[in-house]
Amino acid sequence: MSRPHLSDACAAVLRRDLLLAWRRRSDIAMPVLYALIVTMLFPFALGPEEGLLQRIASGVILVTMLLAMLLALDAMFASDIEDGSLEQLMLAPQPLALMLGMKIIAHWLTTALPLIVITPLLAAMLHLPAAVIPVLLLALLLVTPLISLFGAVLIALTAGTHRSGMLLALMLLPLCVPALIFAAGAVAAAQQGLPWLAPISWLAAILVLAVVLAPLACAAALRIALDS
Amino acid sequence: MANWIPLWLHRLSSPPTFYRFAGTLRPWAMGLAIALGIIGLYGGLVLAPADYQQGDAYRIIFIHVPSAWMSMFIYAVMGVSAFIALVWRIKLAEVVAMESAPIGAAFTFITLVTGSLWGKPMWGTWWTWDARLTSELVLLFLYLGVLGLYHAFEDRRQGARAAGFLAIIGIINVPIVHFSVNWWNTLHQGSTVDVFGHSKMAWDMLWPLLTVTLATKFYYAASLFRRAQTDLLDLEGGKDWVRKIAESEATR
Amino acid sequence: MTVAHAAVPLLEARALSFYRQDEPVFAPLDFQLHAGELALVEGDNGSGKTTLLRMLAGLLHVTVGELCWRGAPLRRDACTSEILFLGHQLGLKADLSPRENLRIATGLHGSRESVTAAGVLAQIGLRGYEDEPVRRLSAGQRKRAALARLLLLPGTLWLLDEPYANLDRRGIALVNQLLEAHTARDGAALVTSHGAMGFHGGEPRHIRMHA
Repeated sequence: MSRPHLSDACAAVLRRDLLLAWRRRSDIAMPVLYALIVTMLFPFALGPEEGLLQRIASGVILVTMLLAMLLALDAMFASDIEDGSLEQLMLAPQPLALMLGMKIIAHWLTTALPLIVITPLLAAMLHLPAAVIPVLLLALLLVTPLISLFGAVLIALTAGTHRSGMLLALMLLPLCVPALIFAAGAVAAAQQGLPWLAPISWLAAILVLAVVLAPLACAAALRIALDS
Repeated sequence: MANWIPLWLHRLSSPPTFYRFAGTLRPWAMGLAIALGIIGLYGGLVLAPADYQQGDAYRIIFIHVPSAWMSMFIYAVMGVSAFIALVWRIKLAEVVAMESAPIGAAFTFITLVTGSLWGKPMWGTWWTWDARLTSELVLLFLYLGVLGLYHAFEDRRQGARAAGFLAIIGIINVPIVHFSVNWWNTLHQGSTVDVFGHSKMAWDMLWPLLTVTLATKFYYAASLFRRAQTDLLDLEGGKDWVRKIAESEATR
Repeated sequence: MTVAHAAVPLLEARALSFYRQDEPVFAPLDFQLHAGELALVEGDNGSGKTTLLRMLAGLLHVTVGELCWRGAPLRRDACTSEILFLGHQLGLKADLSPRENLRIATGLHGSRESVTAAGVLAQIGLRGYEDEPVRRLSAGQRKRAALARLLLLPGTLWLLDEPYANLDRRGIALVNQLLEAHTARDGAALVTSHGAMGFHGGEPRHIRMHA
């Protein structure tokens, strides 16, 4: 009998989720299209004046990302609960928090990363100065994992219920307020030529904390939500 | 000496004992809440002098400030009892946590409404993105999230545990939200009015404020007792002690 | 194996019960299961068979009574590597093939010595379907793919919820064959089923459940 190494188990879960996402690669495009369309609506609603769009650009992009990820979050555990794979994962002789961490990484790679990749395009649509885009990307690289981590905990809590879409929004968005504030603050500071390192460091600090705590909380939440 | 406290808590956390305990204390708590509320509001609205800057408009703080304190106090109570419920699986703690949530949400709502009523004469607008008001708004959403999650479950005890877990996450988050909103506020330089300034509040304004605060505490206790009683009867439906209470109610 | 060791039951339940909304799902249960034994859990629909299995698997919290694993109180992390659970939901990803599904399972659990995924799939009657997505398989074939997991993964106690459902006569015989081989290897199994089954490996223990 061969005991699987921890790294093998992590690789198996990560591989599985990436493979599944690849088999349904048209789903990966959905959040990206959503973000593009929502961003396109703002100039229609507010007028194409360049100064105005420039001023709201970072805020619009951040909120759009948040909403796009919110829509994609629902799928993180849904099919696994339906077909019993989540049960099997919970019963495997491996630390559940770590396995869920792998699932969260896979989810981030398949939903957030494509969104970050198209961010320069969104920024160009809203006339965001090119010099600010690196800061925006840096902020997004820190904010999107936070949303994935928070979202994973909350979606795990709603795992035992039947309605979760709106409820998830109600629970997740207040938790994301600090992340949004710091990210928008950093970009705004960069846009005004002010130092932007402080809010980015705050974001990084919150992210470090979340990376450690969120998978544990996610495992605990799943055990609560499926215990009936 | 320290030994009787856990013992007493353990006894109290048994639903029938708590039911009786709550039944005896509830009228007293409600009476005190009403009496203190009348005294405090009379002191605040009639006896206290008008503010030299804000005139009579400031008097809304006698409702606004106690509600704001209660909105946070109740969230803390909810978080602590949710923690107890999750760790020791005590049913009473679940009930206290979940029945605190609507009361806390109500206080938060009152805080927001009175805050905006106050904002109209002070800032000339119903709503301003002031740091404290914004934090309070986020707090309201946290309460609503807890309530929403609680009611999404079919099994009420499971719902209570899940929502309790969310309440604990919220407790970790509230200071971060508060800090970030403060930071954001300095960035955007909103129209923050420092109510109490740096001077000490006059005694004839302070005592009504403290009295109303005490009144809200007693009101919370009374309301929580009432709600917890109903909830316990519901949860323990089939048990003997509930049947006895039902019989004694019927014969009365 | 010494006699004293054999006398310690693999799994023992004392006055075990589960409460949902403060209502007992089934009447208190007492039973023992030794290595090499098979237990049939019997009861009507709604008598709590699935709940019992989920509780034994560690998915549900034991509310009342005691559950011992090899003589010590059952702790989830101490015994997960020895218990395999097959529920109503098979735990197969529909977009992946049986082979890919098995590879995930061995990644998490490891595998028995001298067993390969291809060999197991052939043994279970899925030769030729190894690389077909599970969504294109019939219900019975999916069940077989899930049963293949039992053969491939190391485990002492099998908890099988309705393993006979969706299977044809040959499939039922196959399940019995698997169970016989497993108990002959000193494994144990707890099986729920309301249908009769022709099990030839000695008299199974019966656990009756009442709501």
